[in-house]
Amino acid sequence: MNFTILDWAIVSGYLVVSLAVGLLGKKYIGNVAHYLVAGRELGTYIGIATLAATEIGTITFMYNAELGYKYGFSAFAAALISGFVMIIIGRTGFVISRLRQLKLMTVPEFFEVKYSRGLRLVTGVLVALGGILNMGVFLKIEGEFLTIVSGINAKYLIAVMTVILVLELLYTVLGGMVAVVITDFIQYVLLSVATILVSVYAVHHVGWANIIRKVSVTMGAPGFNPLANPKFGVTFIVWQILLWFSIHTCWQTTAMRMFSTKSPETSKRVMTWTGFIFLGRGMLPMLWGIAALTLFGVGALEKGVPLPVVNGVTLTPIDAMPAMLAGMLGPGVKGIVIAGMLAATMSVNSSYLLGWSAVISQDVILPTRQVMGKPPLSTTGQIWVNRLANLFVGLFLMFWGLYYTPPGAVYLYLNITGTIFLAGAFVCVVGGLYWKRVNTTGGYLAMLMGAAGAIIPFFFLHWSENVTGFAAFGLAATGLVVGSLIGPPTPNKRDPSSLVSATPRTQ
Amino acid sequence: MRYWQWFWTVSLVIAGTSFAAITAVVTLRGFADLREMLKRLLQQKDRES
Repeated sequence: MNFTILDWAIVSGYLVVSLAVGLLGKKYIGNVAHYLVAGRELGTYIGIATLAATEIGTITFMYNAELGYKYGFSAFAAALISGFVMIIIGRTGFVISRLRQLKLMTVPEFFEVKYSRGLRLVTGVLVALGGILNMGVFLKIEGEFLTIVSGINAKYLIAVMTVILVLELLYTVLGGMVAVVITDFIQYVLLSVATILVSVYAVHHVGWANIIRKVSVTMGAPGFNPLANPKFGVTFIVWQILLWFSIHTCWQTTAMRMFSTKSPETSKRVMTWTGFIFLGRGMLPMLWGIAALTLFGVGALEKGVPLPVVNGVTLTPIDAMPAMLAGMLGPGVKGIVIAGMLAATMSVNSSYLLGWSAVISQDVILPTRQVMGKPPLSTTGQIWVNRLANLFVGLFLMFWGLYYTPPGAVYLYLNITGTIFLAGAFVCVVGGLYWKRVNTTGGYLAMLMGAAGAIIPFFFLHWSENVTGFAAFGLAATGLVVGSLIGPPTPNKRDPSSLVSATPRTQ
Repeated sequence: MRYWQWFWTVSLVIAGTSFAAITAVVTLRGFADLREMLKRLLQQKDRES
């Protein structure tokens, strides 16, 4: 066991405070808009905190550190792209500003506004499927991190992660977005302090000159130049630009923060400043991974990179970073870092639980009821449907998440499962907002061809992630254009102001 | 290779500094934002009930 009593006290204190504060959120819930988009009352600073906390988790630290370990400084290209794209979207308001004006609660809701209820249903199913599969690997990898750093016996992994998931579920189910935002604020502060602490410790402990030397000796130029690295290159960079534009605009958990802001202008400010955080979100954990390579990279070569060896045991590259933290951090600091990582874990998981369950309830269950001719649910009824969907997603994750192991680098697995719906959704949203000629046929083709373009090449033809990504976005765009050109355009059913009065539940 | 080393070093410094600076500002001003949000949510809820 690597933990002292002081470390346990810090971690336990954090968990108690987080749960208590999260449960407070319940008393602010009066309607569905409160539950899903916090009554659209997010200001700039709390908006930045909740968006950053939502998209920075232990899983983020793990996959970015793995990328750093495997590809050296070249991996920084992915972080740079994610941050810069976010800043560009924030400065221009591209997509997010118009979506915010529509007062939506979920991304698929836009598909009913612009296209049809049927397409909203199809999109809802694809978004929920891709999102839950994406989130499916979180628990196991987060659990690995916690057991390695804290030294808890691996046989308790399932029990530990179940307890954490239950705590997250408790406040998310009851308090919805309000509880998530309150806890996100505390979690953001803690995880940021932990990130800064670990970065300073890593460079101080390993030495900057040693880090540079190790990458030079092990990888040569491809360790620094992403264009010279066979895993990256121009195709990777273009795919990443497309992917990050789609993630920052159409990823349900990010979009929900934009929908929750006070105004379109606030959403632009939140996106711009969080873009700067995203630079560090990627690069700092990648640096930890490179530091772990410097310390432990002495094992047998795997694809040109030495596997980590810790105390005579060969690990996988993704476990090198937590092994480094276990040995590097002293008592007290380790407790703060673990509390920070737990905060990161809980903020991401609670936001994702809410995000995907919102799609299941708002875009699958409720429209299906309407199609079947059932009467609309009361406000209380809708909140309960959301809570039950939340519970369902949580239970699914508990079983799938703890047993499934993703193939290859986790970052790329997450990218591909996201692309299943992101390619089509991004193309449809951009087309729907900026091209008058689009129609529902084009929308269906884009969603289905985008999903097929991600699933078939990656899972059945075993193409590389870069080519798969290109195929998905290319097919989705082709589907939208061809489908839209062979039929009449779908008339603009509603402008933003009429939309509000036309759908009273979209408060 | 040297060019890339410098480029990534400068990028890392900018990323780390902006991460720390924004964290400090958000920590200090986010709490007021949060209180304002909760106050307005209660007002919304009262208006509706």
